[in-house]
Amino acid sequence: MTAERSVERGAGDRRARRKAEASSGVLQPPWAPIRNPMPPLELLDEDGVRRIDDTALRVLEELGIEFLNDEALDVFEKAGCKVDRSTKLVRFDRGMLRETIAKAPRQFRLFARNPERNLVIGDNTINVGPVGSPPNVSDLDRGRRPGSYEDVVKLIKLNQMLTCVHHSGGTLTEALDLPADSRHLDLYRAHTFLADRCFIGRGIGRERITDAIEIVCLARGIGREQLMAEPTLTTVINVNSPRRVDKEMIAGLMAMTAHGQPCIVTPFTLAGAMSPVTIAGALAQQTAEALSVIALIQILRPGTPVIFGGFTSNVDMKSGAPAFGTPEYVRSTIIGGQIARRWGLPYRSSNVNASNCVDAQSTHESLMSIWACVMSHVHFMHHGTGWLEGGLVASYEKVIVDAEALHAMAAWLKPMDLSDDALAFEALKEVPPGGHFFGATHTMARYEHAFHQHLIADWRNFQSWQEAGALNATQRANAVWKKLLESYVEPPLDPGKKEAIDAFVARRKTEIMQRGIV
Amino acid sequence: MADGDDIVLEELNDSELVKQMHDDLYDGLKDEIEEAVHILLRRKWEPYRILTEALVEGMRIVGIDFRDGILFVPEVLMSANAMKAGMAILKPLLAETGAPRVGKMVIGTVKGDIHDIGKNLVTMMMEGAGFEVIDLGINNAVEKYLDAIAEHQPDILGMSALLTTTMPYMKVVIDALKEKGIRDDIVVLVGGAPLNEDFAKAIGADSYCRDAAVAVETAKQYMMRKHNQRAAG
Repeated sequence: MTAERSVERGAGDRRARRKAEASSGVLQPPWAPIRNPMPPLELLDEDGVRRIDDTALRVLEELGIEFLNDEALDVFEKAGCKVDRSTKLVRFDRGMLRETIAKAPRQFRLFARNPERNLVIGDNTINVGPVGSPPNVSDLDRGRRPGSYEDVVKLIKLNQMLTCVHHSGGTLTEALDLPADSRHLDLYRAHTFLADRCFIGRGIGRERITDAIEIVCLARGIGREQLMAEPTLTTVINVNSPRRVDKEMIAGLMAMTAHGQPCIVTPFTLAGAMSPVTIAGALAQQTAEALSVIALIQILRPGTPVIFGGFTSNVDMKSGAPAFGTPEYVRSTIIGGQIARRWGLPYRSSNVNASNCVDAQSTHESLMSIWACVMSHVHFMHHGTGWLEGGLVASYEKVIVDAEALHAMAAWLKPMDLSDDALAFEALKEVPPGGHFFGATHTMARYEHAFHQHLIADWRNFQSWQEAGALNATQRANAVWKKLLESYVEPPLDPGKKEAIDAFVARRKTEIMQRGIV
Repeated sequence: MADGDDIVLEELNDSELVKQMHDDLYDGLKDEIEEAVHILLRRKWEPYRILTEALVEGMRIVGIDFRDGILFVPEVLMSANAMKAGMAILKPLLAETGAPRVGKMVIGTVKGDIHDIGKNLVTMMMEGAGFEVIDLGINNAVEKYLDAIAEHQPDILGMSALLTTTMPYMKVVIDALKEKGIRDDIVVLVGGAPLNEDFAKAIGADSYCRDAAVAVETAKQYMMRKHNQRAAG
């Protein structure tokens, strides 16, 4: 077939267009959900998964989980769990647990303020969100420093500009320059005004969640009832492993559940420190802890969507420091997915590493993590961009290095074109033996978009690269995040909604100043 | 190298025995340390001398190799337990003889924060270094710190937090110490993943300790200063 070529009139037009592209700078494929065409990897056979699961159930039956919240203990008791008031330990019957967990949906949708950014959580969809909760930020220009509101804004904008990021995340860094009791309001406002995607509320205490609920309702222009049917907000509920659930997190969970919003229940099971030193044991613990909290949600409001979170990794046994992206992490991520599927729950894991700078270690460990997420059918990839130093730093350059990897991962997972055109018999016919394809009609029709566009890869020969300043990938990433921020465009939001949100934030700040936060 | 099983502690002379105790602390041998402490007491060693020359010195070596990534955390835990066992024998005797104390610390995670694994490591290492540690556990309101300080008269107050939302509470506690007029009587050490030097300075703490080994080093330095001040005074 003869492909139609758009012929540009004169070299000037093309030159102008190319220059414009180069200055706006960063070419990316359009925003799209990542669909994983592969079946999830079954690293363990059925019997292996059952043995881990069985141990988890034994933990729940015989040892129990400590819930530091009397209201939760009441709820469990009414539902027929064995509750020891003196130790606050809750023990679960496995039959009851199965029935209870089965009420959680296998799949659900998250509704963004821009409907084009709605997400499917479940099936074969991988949703990526940025780094969460680091107290510090770093970049090549200013080094490592405590997080600030300015950084929150920049990181939200930067991620909003990335088409491989599906979710706006939560606390991209801590705005340590703002008062601790009210900075969640500034965070939610920034997410709502500067991004058009769903975001994560802070599950510490009740009011940080109810504030988020109010803001997402205002942003979407909907009431609580519609929000209940169309969830927008998520939050991460961590278990204080081993076997302890915090009062404040339970309060956050209860507020989320009362409004039908999904919690991402994630035990903090670092093998060797907060968990057995064996991955099988740590996974049994992770399963037990996650199921106990998910059970609470399903007792409180059956059918509330929920995500089973996996965060099992190991520690450095010589210092106690967390390690990420290790073989142990890959294993636990993949097997965690098997266990989530066994319980019919959507699954969360993360893109994590423990390096102190953007270097070979951070990239290697991150890629191990991302691969584990892809192979285990993670539905929500938390900390997808920017995580560094075991989560203590949000790095601007790392955001770009991660985006490079995520874009590449999304690109190869896309369905492959197997049309006659793509099979290119005509092109093979056109080019004689020993010839080349640079000028073939088939090539001319496709060359601009034939291959995946990289953000920072540099394939020039050594001398050309050297003459251009010999910048390494991290230094090139530094230029890319700046370009992206320069070309940032605020997604439209109705001025009336903005006003309403501003008024709410102002009112709540006054209230919090006067009587604190619950 | 001699096989541990073949050594009869009673047959060693004093200097050999102390050296053996350093090795036994390193290897986390609790029973052997207890036995050796009893032997030295029978040989009329001052309890304070046993504490400093045998136990604290032995744990100093353990501390160095922990810092340098030679020892594993569980090994250090065993060493600290062996030290604590020896210390338990000496404690009443030290009190009787009015020996100077290595140091006393009250420690706890602040209100709203129940993340205590780091604090527990600090407690273990501090005890390993011969400090008496009163561990208040998790989620401590200012009153709990104040009560514990009044009751135990510690040299050092340790506070930790993992959450960025709870770390400002350390300032609440320090301000309360100032209000009570007891801030200068006590060294305040703070720690936790989201903290840093600047934060410690800003809230009026004496030092930020990035890990358990640094906490011990810092605490020892403050105690040395205190002892020097006393000696000078």
